[in-house]
Order: sequence, then structure tokens, then C-alpha cells
Amino acid sequence: MTGIALQNITKRFKEEVAVDDVSLAIADGEFVVILGASGSGKSTILRIIAGLEVQTSGHVYIGDMLVDEYEPRDRNLAMVFQSYALYPHLSAYENIAFGLRVRRIPREDDPNRLRKYTREEIDAKVTSAAQMLGIAGMLQKRPSELSGGQRQRVALARAIVRDPEAFLLDEPLSNLDAKIRSSARIELKNLHQRLRQTFIFVTHDQTEAMTLGERLAIVNHGRLLQCDTPERVLSHPANQYVASFVGSPEMVFLEGNVESAGAGFVFAKGPVRIPVRGAGRTGPVTIGLRPWDIQVGRASSPSAVGARVTGVERLGSSDQLFLDLSSSAMAAGASTVAPVAIRALGRSYEFSIGDAVYVEFDPDRALFFDDQGARLESMTLSTRPT
Amino acid sequence: MIRPRRRRWVKLAKRVTSHVVLIIACLFAIFPIYFIVVTSFSTLPIASITAHVLVPNPSGLTTASYNYVLFHQFPSFATLLTNSLIFAGSAAAIGLALAAFTGFALSKFNFPGRRTFVYFILLISLFPGVLLVIPFYFMFSSLGLIDTYLGLIIPYSAGAVVFSGILVKNYMDSIPDDIEEAALVDGMSRTGAFFRVLVPLCYPVLGLAAFLAFIGPYTDFALAHVFITSNNLWTLALGIYNINSTDTGTQNYGLVTAFAVVMSLPIVIFYMVFQRYIIGGLTLGAVKS
Repeated sequence: MTGIALQNITKRFKEEVAVDDVSLAIADGEFVVILGASGSGKSTILRIIAGLEVQTSGHVYIGDMLVDEYEPRDRNLAMVFQSYALYPHLSAYENIAFGLRVRRIPREDDPNRLRKYTREEIDAKVTSAAQMLGIAGMLQKRPSELSGGQRQRVALARAIVRDPEAFLLDEPLSNLDAKIRSSARIELKNLHQRLRQTFIFVTHDQTEAMTLGERLAIVNHGRLLQCDTPERVLSHPANQYVASFVGSPEMVFLEGNVESAGAGFVFAKGPVRIPVRGAGRTGPVTIGLRPWDIQVGRASSPSAVGARVTGVERLGSSDQLFLDLSSSAMAAGASTVAPVAIRALGRSYEFSIGDAVYVEFDPDRALFFDDQGARLESMTLSTRPT
Repeated sequence: MIRPRRRRWVKLAKRVTSHVVLIIACLFAIFPIYFIVVTSFSTLPIASITAHVLVPNPSGLTTASYNYVLFHQFPSFATLLTNSLIFAGSAAAIGLALAAFTGFALSKFNFPGRRTFVYFILLISLFPGVLLVIPFYFMFSSLGLIDTYLGLIIPYSAGAVVFSGILVKNYMDSIPDDIEEAALVDGMSRTGAFFRVLVPLCYPVLGLAAFLAFIGPYTDFALAHVFITSNNLWTLALGIYNINSTDTGTQNYGLVTAFAVVMSLPIVIFYMVFQRYIIGGLTLGAVKS
């Protein structure tokens, strides 16, 4: 049980920069999820920690030990691969026992000398790990005879028996059926609660990240964009990429301009005008809104914007509504107006296409980004749209 | 679906056609074996092949040829067999080990010029080996290796590496890197991962490689004929040549065929023992790991 620290890690494959100056400190016993799209460098970070790739520059620490020069086998980490990477020629039991058979531990009578695990010790460890994961009945089977979920458990058991400094998990759930995946997610979370060991979990699935991680490290183009709790990442994303990558349904973005209006400023997008606070200048901005922070109703109110429902997606517990905010302007007589499309959540089956509705924003929840995608923290919407 | 009857008829026609074609192909393959076996039991000596030989009278069959081949020729059949097994066995063992390492290096290590090297090896394997016999003779005679066991084992093993190395490489390419990496994280060195994980996974292709490395030297005539002069080092291939050309003044098909039958038995046995691996190796890439 040890923390892991990355210090200014950069990895280049020839000219291509896979990991760009990433620093990350992971506390002992913490569950950190590295989240990023495919090709973002998240797996490379994990492989550098494991020692399977050697960083171009920067340092890796496991506990207090600088392990840059350590071979993978000397780092005492356990890894679960996306493909599980079970040894096809060995039974589930032997797969789990493999690392134990290889490892040498200090002798009880003379700690300076090493000995192998005894057959009984191996058997006890394998059996207890298998019981913990509910695969005790299938230990004699070959990987090819096991289902995806069972293989994934064997891979986890193989990691657990090693009693490693930390667990590295490279998209371990992505090859599972959707149904098993959610239960596997819960089991993994429970496993971490029981073991209280350091888990580093790589995924591209933001739902997995949100449910599993105590902290999320969001990576794009090899850069670490933000590392924070799921709540903070959701409510205070560092930039537009993080805001769009995390949260489901995805954040709604309105690209428009800040224009001066009288004494203050407004956000202008097509015919829509919404007052903003905290704006220091005019220019292009993007507003980000979580669909669940947008209230849709049939009754008008002073702070509501008129809209028309252009599409409905039934999600089950609620409906995702596709709305056009320009409709009120159209009704007011403007002839051709580009649609101002947003999405919001509504009660199941309450609205259908073509409905005229009124939309209200939670002004404090709106996020502003500049045209580079950087967060403009000082700006918020004002309550009264004009 | 609309006219299932017709589809069934087409299916049947296809099956009949494929069976007829396969049966004809089988006959082509079986006929030489039948011919050799039936001739080997004919009465000595036979100077020409007639229908009489191909469809023998059961009472006219004799094991006299076998008796002579096994017990009365010189050097003895046992000597020839021992020599052949020494040459072919050593070549298979050395060639197999080298091919495994070569395949491992070419498949799992990145080094400059790897692709070029692979193409170079492929190019070499296209080169007819017989062309090398004369230059090899001069090289090996200056090294004092002519007419020795080592003198044949070296080129035989080298010949095995060329083709089998590529074979093993291609097979190892199909084993995901994840599996080797899992072994590294699990506490193995690369060498350990090679022997404990990759080699067991490569058993099918290594079986095939061993078989090919054995067959080549076992049946080789050209190199052995040039390199071996003393008859206590003769191989089976030299023996069969000798029994045909010198022992009797005329062509003796009975002796040659009896010799061929006995000589092929070790290969048949070898094949039956390693059949599982060899067939697995022949269907390379069809294996899902």
C-alpha cells in the first residue's frame, strides 16, 4: 500500500508526443480514474507507471522510491489489462498463482535470504482471492472456457493475490456486456473499499469514471487537464473540453458573443439576448449549461425564453428535449433566423415535437468559456433575460 | 428460402462434386505409396514394373527384400538409421532452439533493420540449397569438418533456422503483447516470460518447426553425398542410393522399395506423436488466442 507520484512525465514516440509534462500525485489507498478519449495518452501514462514504457523525461515514484530505472517486475504493481491478458495455456488457478510462483519472499528465520511461497501458501491465497471474487468453482477451467465476466474476475484475482503496492487497471470493464459492466463496476468499487489499496483506473467511459473515482484525472492530447473529485470536475470544469467530456447527457454549448447593452453586457446568440454579470469585455464566448439545469415548462414567466421542441429522445426516466430558442423571435416577425439549438431534460412523455415551451436557466450554473476553451470564472448569467 | 428444394439439390451436387474431386486427389496421393509397398513384397529381383507387380498374386508375396535390407546389407541398416537419427535429431533440436529465439527476437523486439532482416531471411529461404553444396564443401573441408558428424549438423541446423525462424515469428506476432506484459508485471524477466509463457503458447508452431527441421536432414541426399565419404557415417539416404546402384548389377525395385518403406517408418511415427502440434502449426493464424 503506497502512493504513486508522477513528476513532469513526458513520453515521445519518435516525433509524436503521447504524454506531455504530466504531474500527478496519487495518495495511498486512493482510487484515481484517468479519463480520456482514445489516443489521449491515458494508457501510456499507466504503462509508464507499470514500467512497460520508459518515459522520455520526468520521474515516477512509488512511495518514496524513485523507480525510473526499475524493471516492471521490480515495481511490485499489479495490472489488469483490457484484454485481461490471461495466460491461455494455464488454468484459471495457475493464472492466479503465476505471480506467486515467480515471487521470492524473505525467509522467516533469516530475512536476508529469500524463499519461494509454499504450495499451501499459494493455495490459501488463490482460494481466498477466488472466493472474494466468486470464481472458486471454475479454477480448473482454461481461460477459453470462461465467459468475459469470469475472465475479468480471474484477471482481478491474479492482481489481488500478489498483494501489490497498487493496482493498475487499463479499461478492465470495456470488454464486458453492458449489463455485467454495471455490476462489475459496483463490485470493483466494493473491492477497493475492502482492500483500501491504491487503484489507478484508466477509462474512456465517463460514467465509469464518475461512479468509481475518488478523483478524476482528465487527459487530452497527452496533457493532464484537471484532476479533482467527480463533483468538482462536474461543477467546476477547468475548460470546455473537460466540461463536454464529463457529464451525461453532454453539456449544452451556446456559442455567441458578449455585447455591451446599456450599462451592462448581454450574451447574444442569434435573436436571443441574455444579460451577463462579471463580463469585462466584449467578444466571442461559449456558454455551457448542463441539460438538467435547464427548466422547461409550458407557462411563461419574466425570466423565461420561448422555445420550440424540435426533437425528443426518450431516455426512460426522462426525455431529452431538443429545443430551438429562435422560435420566439420567428414568431415576433423575423423572417429568417438561424436556429439556436439547445438540449434539456423534461419529464417522460410530457412534451412532443412542435410544442411551444418556455425555458429557464439556473443562472449560477452557467459556465463561460473563451474562444480557446478556457474557463472564464468571473462570468455568470443574470437572472432576467431580455 | 423461397425454394428450399432447389437449394437442397444444389447443396447435394456441391457435396458430390467435392467428394469426387477429393477422392481423385486422394488416389493420386495414395498410389505411389501403394506402389512402393506392393513392390517391396514382390519376389526378388524385379527388373521392370508390370501390371503383374501392381496387382500381385498373394501367394507370390515375400518378405525377402526386407530381410536383406534389414539384416544383410553393409553398412547395416541399424548403422544407417542411427546416423540419420543423429543428424536429423541434432538438427531438429538445435534448429528448433535457434528458431524459437530468432522468432522471439524478430517478433517481440524492436531493433533497427528488423524488417530488412526478415526480408533478407525470406530471400535466403528462396535460394535453392543445392547451389550451396559446392561452396560449402570448400568451406567445410578447409575447416576439417568433411566426413564428420558436426560437418553435417551445422548446415542442417542452419537450414532449419532460416525457414522456421520466420514461421515462429509469424506465430508469435499473433500472440498479443499484453500476455507477455502481464508476465513482466507479474514478476518475470523477459527471458522468464519467454520460457514460461511464450514458448508454451508456441508449442503448435514449434512442433511443426521441429518436424520440418527433422524431415529435411533425414531425407537429404545432396549434402550428405558430398560431405560423407566413410561408410560408417552413411545416412539412410546414402544407403538407399547405394543399395540401388551397387549391390546388384541390375535395378532392384524390391530392395529399393523395401528400404523406402522401412526408412519412412520413423517419420510416420514422429508425425503421429506430434500430429496434434503439427496440424495446429499448419493452421497458423486460425488460432484465436
